Amino acid sequence: MHLDAFELHRPESLSETLRLAQTWAGQSDFLAGGTDLLPNYKMHLNLRPHLIALDRVSELGGVSLDRFGATATLGELERYLGQARAYPGVADAVTEVATPLVRATATLGGNLLVDTRCFFFNQSHFWRQSLGYCLKADGDRCHVVPQKERCYATFSGDLAPALMVVDAEVEVAGASGVRRLPLRDLYDRTGDGIRRLRLAPGELLVAVHLPSEARQFRASYLKLRIRPSFDFPELGVAVAARTDGDRIEALRLAVGGLETYPRRFDELTDPLEGQRWSEERIRDLAAAVSAAVRPVRNTSLAPDYRKRMAGVYVRRAIDRMRHRGG
Amino acid sequence: MSTRTVPIRFQLNGLPVERSIPPERILLDLIRDELRLTGTKRGCDLGTCGCCTVLLDGTPVLSCLTLAARADGRSVTTIEGIMTGGRLHPVQAAFVECGATQCGFCTPGFVLTAVALLRENPHPDRATIVRAISGNLCRCTGYTKIVRAIERASEVAP
Repeated sequence: MHLDAFELHRPESLSETLRLAQTWAGQSDFLAGGTDLLPNYKMHLNLRPHLIALDRVSELGGVSLDRFGATATLGELERYLGQARAYPGVADAVTEVATPLVRATATLGGNLLVDTRCFFFNQSHFWRQSLGYCLKADGDRCHVVPQKERCYATFSGDLAPALMVVDAEVEVAGASGVRRLPLRDLYDRTGDGIRRLRLAPGELLVAVHLPSEARQFRASYLKLRIRPSFDFPELGVAVAARTDGDRIEALRLAVGGLETYPRRFDELTDPLEGQRWSEERIRDLAAAVSAAVRPVRNTSLAPDYRKRMAGVYVRRAIDRMRHRGG
Repeated sequence: MSTRTVPIRFQLNGLPVERSIPPERILLDLIRDELRLTGTKRGCDLGTCGCCTVLLDGTPVLSCLTLAARADGRSVTTIEGIMTGGRLHPVQAAFVECGATQCGFCTPGFVLTAVALLRENPHPDRATIVRAISGNLCRCTGYTKIVRAIERASEVAP
């Protein structure tokens, strides 16, 4: 498979990158690891005439205990977290992304901003053409939930739920300067599923910041997929808690791989703070998460199965977290 | 076609290469179609199978998902570049000894992944080997002999 022609820009500083992004806003994509973008380009999915490569922009790289650069590779992050023995839920998630070969080039920023996926989107041009395309690329209708207003493709990153539950923030740079926002607010749940990020045209993810409190959390991430060695999540559950003995001081839970956005469930976990762990509370929480999520028929596993497994994975993720030291 | 080309210089198996390439040229295409080193295989072409694995500055990467422009200023090693003095690399020798190939299509990718693993960790346990090769697919062997070959290579490593 060959790529169509594009112009490749290789800036060497953040300011140059932002200038290029401003010049080519709407006509460019950022290229980091390329492990998702280039397969999509090979399948002629939403091609742009300009690619702005980020591999020479040193301000975007690096990993330390409280800052993960956006272009840090997942392999780099995996090694760092293994050595630092920090953020066990994030370490679970990064190890579960694709394969070591993909993680050697795929980046943290790429995983957080990864394009949503769907049976009717991630297909060759020939295949999509035969069906008259879809809302997300070249067409005007959704084939999963037949209508013309909203895309239901699934958010398929693993790191977002794991970072959301430890209250990570993202640093974003653009023409109007640098700003920070909670990672959970990066995903615009009011969007139509295609416009789904709170990033202005030309804005760029610079880094993820971890608050010092994040290191006080026990955490875990569990992922459901077809082939354990490779696939995107059919469901991902992240959980983090700070406890005093059996008493829950703080509890966070997020899921990915089910809907257009990774989603945190504070409305279900906040009432448990101050309570003690019990089998009944965990069972009720699992049932409530399972009832709340709305997967659709656009990935390999049936939506009803994924919905039920959401509850099972909530229980298993909590169990894994509680049996971890630290 | 692109309106302009990108000049690149890199080391390929220890020898300097200079080319002017369209920016959209994929490293795998450059290696196979222009430089005529066909040991690197095109499998899925989408990053799933690992047949196209090469070493970029010593790290195994998927050449089907790497722009050739990214090799600029770096060193690329393909399966053709790991023999020394006409002798097979110990990983290649172990693959032969253990019968770890059948059709052979995936073998260059496995060998390069294993070479990089053993450079970083000369004596990995079995679980580490299995994890390291989890991005390389083989449809013939069932992996048993491949894992055995990598263990064998680690036994003869210094």
